[in-house]
Amino acid sequence: MADLTHSVPRSDAGNVARPNPVLDILSAIGKTILPVLMTLFGLAALTFFIGRMLPIDPVASILGENATQDAYEKMSAALGMDKPLWYQFGVYVKGILTLNFGDALTTGKPVIDDIARVFPATIELATLSIILGTGIGIPAGVLSAMYRNSWLDNVIRFTGLIGYSAPNFWLGLMGLVLFYATLGWIGGPGRIDFIYEFDLEPVTGFHLIDSALAGNWEIFRNVFSHIILPASILGFGALAYISRMTRSFMIEQLSQEYIVTARVKGLSWARTVWVHAFRNVAVQVLTVVALSYAFLLEGAVLTETVFAWPGFGRYLTNALLVGDMNAVVGCSLLVGVIFVTLNLICDLLYRVFDPRTR
Amino acid sequence: MTPKSIVKTRVIVAATAAALMSSISLPALAATPKSALVMAWNIDAISTFDPAQVGEVVTNELLQNTCDSLVDFDPKDESKVVPLLAKSWDVSEDRKTITFHLNEGMKFPGGAPATAKELAWSMQRVVLLGYGNAATLTEYGFTKENVKERIVATDDNTLVLTLEAAYPTNLILQAIGANRVSALLDEKTLTEKSVNGDFGNKYLATNTACVGPYKLMQWNAGESLVLQANEDYYGNQPKLKRVLVRHVAEPGTQRLLLTQGDIDIARDLSPDDLADLDGKPGLKIERVLKPQLFFWTFNALDPIFKEEKVRLAMRYLIDYDGLGKSVMKYLGVPRASFAQIGATGALNAEEGQPFKLDLEKAKALIAEAGYPNGFEATVLFGMLPHSAPIAQSIQQNASKIGVKLNLERMANAQLFSRIRGRDFQTGMLAWQTGVPDAHGNASRLIYNPDNRPEAKLTQIPAWRSAYQNEDFNKRIQQALLEGDPEKRNQIYYQLQKDTMQQGPSAIMFQMYNILGMSDKVQNWTWNGFRVYYDLASK
Repeated sequence: MADLTHSVPRSDAGNVARPNPVLDILSAIGKTILPVLMTLFGLAALTFFIGRMLPIDPVASILGENATQDAYEKMSAALGMDKPLWYQFGVYVKGILTLNFGDALTTGKPVIDDIARVFPATIELATLSIILGTGIGIPAGVLSAMYRNSWLDNVIRFTGLIGYSAPNFWLGLMGLVLFYATLGWIGGPGRIDFIYEFDLEPVTGFHLIDSALAGNWEIFRNVFSHIILPASILGFGALAYISRMTRSFMIEQLSQEYIVTARVKGLSWARTVWVHAFRNVAVQVLTVVALSYAFLLEGAVLTETVFAWPGFGRYLTNALLVGDMNAVVGCSLLVGVIFVTLNLICDLLYRVFDPRTR
Repeated sequence: MTPKSIVKTRVIVAATAAALMSSISLPALAATPKSALVMAWNIDAISTFDPAQVGEVVTNELLQNTCDSLVDFDPKDESKVVPLLAKSWDVSEDRKTITFHLNEGMKFPGGAPATAKELAWSMQRVVLLGYGNAATLTEYGFTKENVKERIVATDDNTLVLTLEAAYPTNLILQAIGANRVSALLDEKTLTEKSVNGDFGNKYLATNTACVGPYKLMQWNAGESLVLQANEDYYGNQPKLKRVLVRHVAEPGTQRLLLTQGDIDIARDLSPDDLADLDGKPGLKIERVLKPQLFFWTFNALDPIFKEEKVRLAMRYLIDYDGLGKSVMKYLGVPRASFAQIGATGALNAEEGQPFKLDLEKAKALIAEAGYPNGFEATVLFGMLPHSAPIAQSIQQNASKIGVKLNLERMANAQLFSRIRGRDFQTGMLAWQTGVPDAHGNASRLIYNPDNRPEAKLTQIPAWRSAYQNEDFNKRIQQALLEGDPEKRNQIYYQLQKDTMQQGPSAIMFQMYNILGMSDKVQNWTWNGFRVYYDLASK
């Protein structure tokens, strides 16, 4: 797996003969794919064996507490639990390759369909959150570094500390009490008001996009009024992390000699900071943003629970609690794929931001 | 920044601000539709709507309102049965044959006729599929081999049930007639939708196909569910045309929705929320005892807990009264008898709970059992919110007589797995019976026909506790076939008194079904076994 925390990849760029950039990128993708596949296989194997070691009986989970031994044995055979472990693993790997994770116990539907249903809710929320978190977090971090130890810096750092340390579910409940119950500014829990729920034709699964596509702005506003609070709260957490990291990256850059040189040459402070210094930390900041986004996509269980948000995190947690191994495996692999993919995208973006890595 | 890009940025900022403001100025919607009942409920447990497979309370309640059974529990007294699909029934002299006369002209949603033939098929299907619910029928002698002869439609409106023994008719009506296993399913549709001879089980995972006051319109797993009044229903039309259930797992969120008026009913409020909302204007708390018991079970294979006196001593460590007034105030009532309040043959509230916290007595009992200096033991419990405070209270009392209890909390699935496997010393969990008759719990919590490990009667809590008492077994069998209701009750009364002293588990509480509701909802009708959505109005 490519190393996300390794912020500035070493390279011998700057040497003479440059290969074709397209070929270069393709070979980079190629070099990344193999470790990616190995990572995913390792993850799949790990999930399988952890699942087998858990003291949860999948057969009892399906049949319920009152099943007779006869029914129990039949279901056990139907699930292939009576076969040797290596055989079960083979069946399992074959299922994964065809994206067939079996049916989820909790819903009775194929796991892949369930994921297709719950994941858009989480993507929509995570994307809006990361936009908020990045859009405010980066400028806040840069400002904090520019006016280090000023009142502004202190305010930003203190706010960040709250975002970092206050539990999301608590902020969520308090936010609901204030903005929904007391002020009535926003829609309550859930993705949409009940009265609109069945008027919205699902196309992409993203309510904001679906309602915009349908040109139904009344529903769009309703959806927005529901998503804005959870997105702000998750975004707040991301903001705290991003602004802190940006601040420390920037402080390091601002103490470099080239900054003094730029200032001496008469460049404005703003231009020095944003164009010269920030460009140098962009790669590191990108890493932080990608990581935050990955964590958000994994689903925020507590926030989803408080806001009755039918998302991925809650689905996975419920699956774990009832011992629904099919769903757990499907979800774990998806989380793996998210991290690996974001890693890959990050690696490729480094090439855009940092010419030395080309 | 160029002037152009500044303008562009300003436009974006202005648009964002406008969008924010417009959302902010939305008025709070604080009324639910007049013709619909809107509930917030944790419906994560729903996994199928097949009456042959459903084994949990949420779907059971929904099915009771979408799939009528042969007979129904009387809303006012759950131990009585009243007509439903069957308008009347005759019982043969020897009590072994029950002939049901069904309502005429019943239809499935969509208009296809629904007759005794489909009903017989539906009931046979339960046994043939063999899910947990098959036990409801196999317990009374129906098997895969004989079910087609024992459950028969003699004409379109007549269904005949032939029993292998002279079971009390009322018990059979409660256990089978008023149970989801006698739902009338659409044979034609299910046969068409059948996959690998599954009798339409897969189709019913996401649909309903039966005769009832409501039909399932939509179910988005983990999100929401809508029941719509069935226009082809043979009975009275429900007053509220739609029942909307929104999945909300967090009690605090349910409370907010309720106080905001966005929902009519909150099903999973925490005791703290209930205490706060109790008496608030515009709201009411509704509660009814359900047939669920919360108990502390002891493994008789364990050298300490095989001693009857140790098990009895543990009962004197439970502060029934104190817990009942604090932790359990909105959750349930103290109950030590295996027969729940409301059941035929149950001791009354007072006689059914004779214990009180008595450390002296507990200490004397464990000394008699050979543990004058106490002992150490483990208590397993799951995720039920009241488990931990109850276990801690008992732990504290136990420490005062030298008994060191180690508490071990785990996921429910893991707890069940340990208990089913007899891999525990003591454990706390809940058990719910399906019949308002003492036999329901006697046959599970006390009766154990085969105590050998290889018998694997994992569905019977008494077996899980490795507890077998030949005398109790015999009396339970005797009561089951006793024709005289009064004699039958007497057997159960004595049995309850004896098992409270000797039984494998300390029964602790009988639980409430409890909810918070807007006072706009009228005629909310329920008992321990059933909620009648069709009677509610606004």
